[in-house]
Amino acid sequence: MALLLRTLARQGVCLSRPCVARSVFYRHAAPMGTTAKDEMNKFWAKNSKLNRPMSPHLTIYKWSVPMVMSITFRGTGVGLSGAISAFALAALVLPESYPYYLDLIHSLSIGPYLIGLAKFGLALPVSFHTYNGIRHLCWDLGKGFRIPEVYRTGYTVIGLSIITSLALAYL
Amino acid sequence: MAAIVRLGSVCRRGVKPLFYQSTLLARPLVVPHKYQEQPYQLTAKIHASQALYAGSGSKAASLHWTAERVLSILLLAMGPAAYFNPCPAIDYSLAAALTLHGHWGIGQVLTDYVHGDTKIKLANAGLFLLSTVTFAGLCYFNYNDVGICKAIALLWSK
Repeated sequence: MALLLRTLARQGVCLSRPCVARSVFYRHAAPMGTTAKDEMNKFWAKNSKLNRPMSPHLTIYKWSVPMVMSITFRGTGVGLSGAISAFALAALVLPESYPYYLDLIHSLSIGPYLIGLAKFGLALPVSFHTYNGIRHLCWDLGKGFRIPEVYRTGYTVIGLSIITSLALAYL
Repeated sequence: MAAIVRLGSVCRRGVKPLFYQSTLLARPLVVPHKYQEQPYQLTAKIHASQALYAGSGSKAASLHWTAERVLSILLLAMGPAAYFNPCPAIDYSLAAALTLHGHWGIGQVLTDYVHGDTKIKLANAGLFLLSTVTFAGLCYFNYNDVGICKAIALLWSK
C-alpha cells in the first residue's frame, strides 16, 4: 500500500491513460536502490548512535495466551536444543558408558514419585514443542489464523501436552 | 490523494499463503471521481518477498524456509518410526535431523535477537561450532554406546 502511494506521489496522479495504468505502476514498482539489509543496518547504526530510549514493552503489554505459548515454544526449543548439545558433549567427554551412569542414578534410590516427576518434567517440554510445532505447520499451510481458532488450537495443544506427558510419565 | 483500497475484496478472495511460494499480492484499487471521469480498477502488483524489488531476487531464503518445514515434518515422522522400529539407521537419522532442526531453530533465534554485522558473524560461527560438536557427539554415542533409541528406552525403564 505504501509502495503504491509513494509511486503515485512521485509521478503525480496522472491517470488519464487507463489502458497503460497497469504497466505504469508495474514499471515504477522499484522505488529504492538499496536493499532491505542496507536499510536495516543504516537504521541500527543511527539507532545506536542516538542512544534512543526503548519504549516499554514486556512491562506494559497485557499478557495473552498466544503470546505466552509463543515464547514458551521458543523457550522449549532452545532448552531442548541445549539439552541435546549437553548430552552430546557429555558423550564425548565422560569416560564411562551410558548404562554405567544410568545405574549410578539408579543406585541413588530416588523414590518412584520423584522418578515419575522427572519423567513428566522431561516429557512436558518435548510434547509441548511437538504439538505446538504441528500448530505452527498448520499456520504455514494458511489454516487457523482467526483469533478464536488460535485460542482453540492453543488450549488443545496445552491440554494434549499435559495428557501426553502424564501418560508417558506413568509408562 | 484519496484512494479507496478495497482490502475487503482481497480478504474475501483469500491471500495465497507463502507456503505456496507466491511472491505477489494483488490489491485492487478504486480511484475516485476527482481524478477522472469514472472510477476503474487498477491492480498494483506488490511484492511480498523479503528483498526489495531491485532485480537481484534470490530464492535462498524462501528455499531455506521450505526446507525447515520439510525437516520438521521428517522429524515428526521419525518419532513413531523410532518407537516401533529402533535400529542404527534410525539412530543416525535422528542424530542428523535433531541436530539440523536445532541448528536452524537457534539460527532463527539469533537472527531475531542479534544485531550488528560482527556480532551476527560471531554468533553464527559459535552456533556452527556447537552444532558440529553436537552431531559429532551424537554419532559417537550411536557408534560407541547404546544409541539414541536404546538410550531413551533404558532411561524410561527406570
